[in-house]
Amino acid sequence: MVSKKKKKYASGEGAQFMTRKAALKKLQLSLKDFRRICILKGIYPREPRNRKRAQKGAGGIKTLYHTKDIRFLLHEPIIWKIRDLKVYQQKIRKARAMRRYGEMRKYLRDHPEMTIDHIVKERYPTFVDALRDLDDCLTLCFLFSTFPSLKKVPRDQSMLCRRLTVEFMHAVIAAKALRKVFVSIKGYYYQAEFEGQTITWIVPHHFSFQPQSKDEVDFKIMSTFVEFYTNLLGFVNFKLYHSLNLVYPPKLTRGLSLNSEKDLIDEKAYVAERIAAMNLSLARIAGSNDAEELPEIDIFNTEDEDPQKLEEAKLEVEKVKKLKTMFKGLKFFINREVPREPLVFLIRCFGGEVSWDRNMFVGATFDETDETINYQIVDRPSMEKQYLSRYYVQPQWVFDNVNARTLLPINKYLMGAVLPPHLSPFIDKTKDQVYIPPEQRALNDPDFKPKNDDEVSDEDIEEASDEDEKDQEEKDSEDEGAEAALTRQYQEEVAEESSSDDDGEDDNEKKKIAKEKKKAMAVKPGVPHKDHPYQKEIEDKQAFRLREKLVRKKHRNLYKSMKAGQEARKKEIWLLRKKRRLHDEKVQEEKKVEKRKQRMQALDAASA
Amino acid sequence: MSVVKKKKHVSKKNKKAWRKHCDIRDVEDFLEDQRLEERLGKFEAKPDAELFVVDTGGEEVKVEEEKLSAKQRKRAKLAEPPKCYQILLPSSKVPDPNAKRNHVNPAGTKPTALSKLTEKRRLEKGSFERKMQLAKKNRKVALNLKKKNKMTRQNFGLDLWGQDLPEAKGIPSTLVDDFISPEAQLHNVLPERRLRPKPPLATTVTRKAVDIPHPGISYNPSFKEHQELLQEVVAHEQKIMKRGERLHRRTTGMFSRVTQQENENQWREDMKLNEPSKPEEESASDSEYRAVNPPVQNKKKDHKARRKQRERLVEKERLKREKIDKKKITDIYNEKRAKQRALLAETATPSLNAHKAHKKEPEFVDPAMLSGNLTRLSTNSRRSILLEAYRQLVSRSADAIREPSDPIDHQSCEQYAPPTSVSQFFGLWSVTLVLLRISWLRSRDRGGCGKHKSGLSGEPWGRPMSSSGRLTADMMMNKALLSNLLRDRFESLQHRGALAASKLMMKKKRKLKSYFKAGHKVTDQEIEKYINKKK
Repeated sequence: MVSKKKKKYASGEGAQFMTRKAALKKLQLSLKDFRRICILKGIYPREPRNRKRAQKGAGGIKTLYHTKDIRFLLHEPIIWKIRDLKVYQQKIRKARAMRRYGEMRKYLRDHPEMTIDHIVKERYPTFVDALRDLDDCLTLCFLFSTFPSLKKVPRDQSMLCRRLTVEFMHAVIAAKALRKVFVSIKGYYYQAEFEGQTITWIVPHHFSFQPQSKDEVDFKIMSTFVEFYTNLLGFVNFKLYHSLNLVYPPKLTRGLSLNSEKDLIDEKAYVAERIAAMNLSLARIAGSNDAEELPEIDIFNTEDEDPQKLEEAKLEVEKVKKLKTMFKGLKFFINREVPREPLVFLIRCFGGEVSWDRNMFVGATFDETDETINYQIVDRPSMEKQYLSRYYVQPQWVFDNVNARTLLPINKYLMGAVLPPHLSPFIDKTKDQVYIPPEQRALNDPDFKPKNDDEVSDEDIEEASDEDEKDQEEKDSEDEGAEAALTRQYQEEVAEESSSDDDGEDDNEKKKIAKEKKKAMAVKPGVPHKDHPYQKEIEDKQAFRLREKLVRKKHRNLYKSMKAGQEARKKEIWLLRKKRRLHDEKVQEEKKVEKRKQRMQALDAASA
Repeated sequence: MSVVKKKKHVSKKNKKAWRKHCDIRDVEDFLEDQRLEERLGKFEAKPDAELFVVDTGGEEVKVEEEKLSAKQRKRAKLAEPPKCYQILLPSSKVPDPNAKRNHVNPAGTKPTALSKLTEKRRLEKGSFERKMQLAKKNRKVALNLKKKNKMTRQNFGLDLWGQDLPEAKGIPSTLVDDFISPEAQLHNVLPERRLRPKPPLATTVTRKAVDIPHPGISYNPSFKEHQELLQEVVAHEQKIMKRGERLHRRTTGMFSRVTQQENENQWREDMKLNEPSKPEEESASDSEYRAVNPPVQNKKKDHKARRKQRERLVEKERLKREKIDKKKITDIYNEKRAKQRALLAETATPSLNAHKAHKKEPEFVDPAMLSGNLTRLSTNSRRSILLEAYRQLVSRSADAIREPSDPIDHQSCEQYAPPTSVSQFFGLWSVTLVLLRISWLRSRDRGGCGKHKSGLSGEPWGRPMSSSGRLTADMMMNKALLSNLLRDRFESLQHRGALAASKLMMKKKRKLKSYFKAGHKVTDQEIEKYINKKK
């Protein structure tokens, strides 16, 4: 028997894909509803490997979906809900047309609502999954929270976004989860860490809403995305609050000082405003203990034990721990001209207390006249009335502190000072083999000290004539940087050794006594094993060379080129450092000559 | 009558077979007739009146039944009781012996005034107390359920990833209802193993939602980083310009412009060539007859010609081979490039649609936007000298753009950086021009600064307000220069393949309704009429 002839596109890529039109027909939905359900369920059009085959021979470019995806949609209960809603809309329309307004109002009141929490659960089976995908959600919610009411967006959506984002910020504050911040032209980039997941989001600058022309962005689609994201963010907030032992619809701890005489029209709004101020901590669940300290890092002996990596991880943890309580016990006051929200958020994240002008925004806790304020954040060149008890710093100091993870010296950020550049913390750490000028290095890590600036003070120059040579020698040694440090370390170790040698001499004396007793005891004392550090280094180097030889032939060329590149980059850095050093020396020399000349002139003038 | 196929030779050897195959119908028919005659009398003996009747009715006209349309048939069916109830109807023709049977209104009919009264009386009497209580309870449950659902949506008071959800316990969602008892719910818990594993969810979006920002877009960038960013922007824009130039060169640039007069002259020249030249030579030749297509001579190729042909073929083949070999070698070298291309194709945005998504452009930060001050982040547009310079250039003739006579000073550009001016860095005019073009183009692209609605002051959740609360025209203009975060998000979704690119719709210009139609000639009379009417 001849087998039945196989039809074309009945299997393979042709059967795998489905055009959008076919999908609409299969699901019996309108395009609008289909778009909505696709966004909610996270089903996106696919790009086929072979378009012609996937489109069953048809030309052009069509929007294609996986057939399986569409079949997956077919079983979604909200499809039925959407159909019900359609009927409901018809009823409302009919009642309106028949002028049965009572009925219409009833329909509007009992309008069924679509719940999509099961979809949230389905798309993010675990909490960590939800956290991992929170970037886009947060950015869009923060963006929509700044929008006025728009035509295609549900009326309450921007308010809901605002509420949820404020709640999320409170969660970040309570968890002390913020790690990085970057002020860009576009907005504020924040990075937080929850349950080991880093979440990055952008918050636009205030007042940067631009009316969009229709053709650029489809508001309807964006609003559907936001609809899903608000649901996601709501449930994430709930979970976060519970894990932080906070009451979920957030409440304030302190008893609100309500004026009994004046009846509050809207008490909810009153509380909500205070919460949005972010100035007070939220109420905790009764019976939960406040102090929750992270335990020390446990060290497990893993197979590929890299002590250096372990050390780095330990340092990182230490730094983060320091960062979390950076502003603890400090009091800040924010001037009127400074953007309030980002600064309050930052300061509260790291344990500081903050307040602002009472007339500017609700929720101010203390006034400007408070003498216990440590820092006042100002963004103007000068102020008429200044308190001696506090520092007046520019807002960038706060941002840079977060990125540096310590309190930076304020001398560069004082009121009216020309600010150092605000560097991005989101840089590729792998590209570390580049020359960094000492000024930038000082910005990057606060421990680094650009030596030339400090040393070449006026006094130094005065005394310099005597100590020129010495100075130069010193500088040379410092410029060599890492090598110098190594040698110094080596010297110290050698010194230690010499001291231990002294101990050894003591031992010798003891030995003599012991020798006398030896005959009686016949037990030899153990000789302490001495490790020669230099010897060890040499051995390590040799072992490394041996290992290098074991590199496979396949990878040898790659390895060689890698090494050559490293060498070249090192050389370039060295060259640039040298150039800089020579330039600095030259400048210094010129300065000295100038100074001497001035002095001579002054002397001449005095003598004349 | 059924036609029985005759069998030719049938054995009739015994009685049964004989009976089976012997046709005795004619005998039986005759006997039957005989018996009938015995019973009723002979046919011939009957009188005529008994056999014939006078036809008084006339020829019967067959009344054709009207064919009903599908709609009418449906209508007719509407009246009759449904099929499922038809079995309940009395099928016997015997009438109901109880003529005065109580009529019961079918369910769903409107209550009559009388029934309402009886209902009320019964309610007061307490006839169906239990039923009422049950109804009340059910209503309450339904209302509570609805309210709870709404509250959940508003307050998200639900631990979605917790363990106490019925779904987490494995109870099917269809059974999660307040009306269903927990015993029933637990009874219906599905076994752990599914017959067919659930298909894994689609995971197409793998790109990062929020890209790592270029350090140069900081509000107060370091000089080096900002220059790097500008270099990127310039390189990008130069590429675009180059592509545009190429397109121009290949299309419009290929043709030269010609005036009408020149065109006509050219045409004349061409036409002249087609004019028949004077037959001078023909007259000179002899009057001998010559065929239009002279016969072909079968000229045989000699050995030399054959050899040459063969050699030519071999040479051609050799060259072809050589070319292929050469291609092979170049292909080896091209492998690297092919790999790069493959990588590019992998990272390219998926084409899900006939429309193309915007390509990602490097962020452009106008040096004039940088004030190094958080408050005045975007207010000092007035100092945007580059823009001003561009406007000057535009206002002058087009020649000025090609050959700038006076240099632009870059004072304002210096304010954000260590004292190295931008002009010193660039040196080139072209680069500056590119930057100018970019800033101008982008301002044009992202224009549309309309009214801005600020957050209402009375709203709870404290909408962010700018500290100064002022919104100047300058600010708005600069906002237009800033890249829009919303559009950014929209394009990010497209790049991640979550959205098919949408077509860029041009805004339709609203047509002005004009009184005068095209081709309508306005006469003086009409104008007079119009003026008079106005008066």
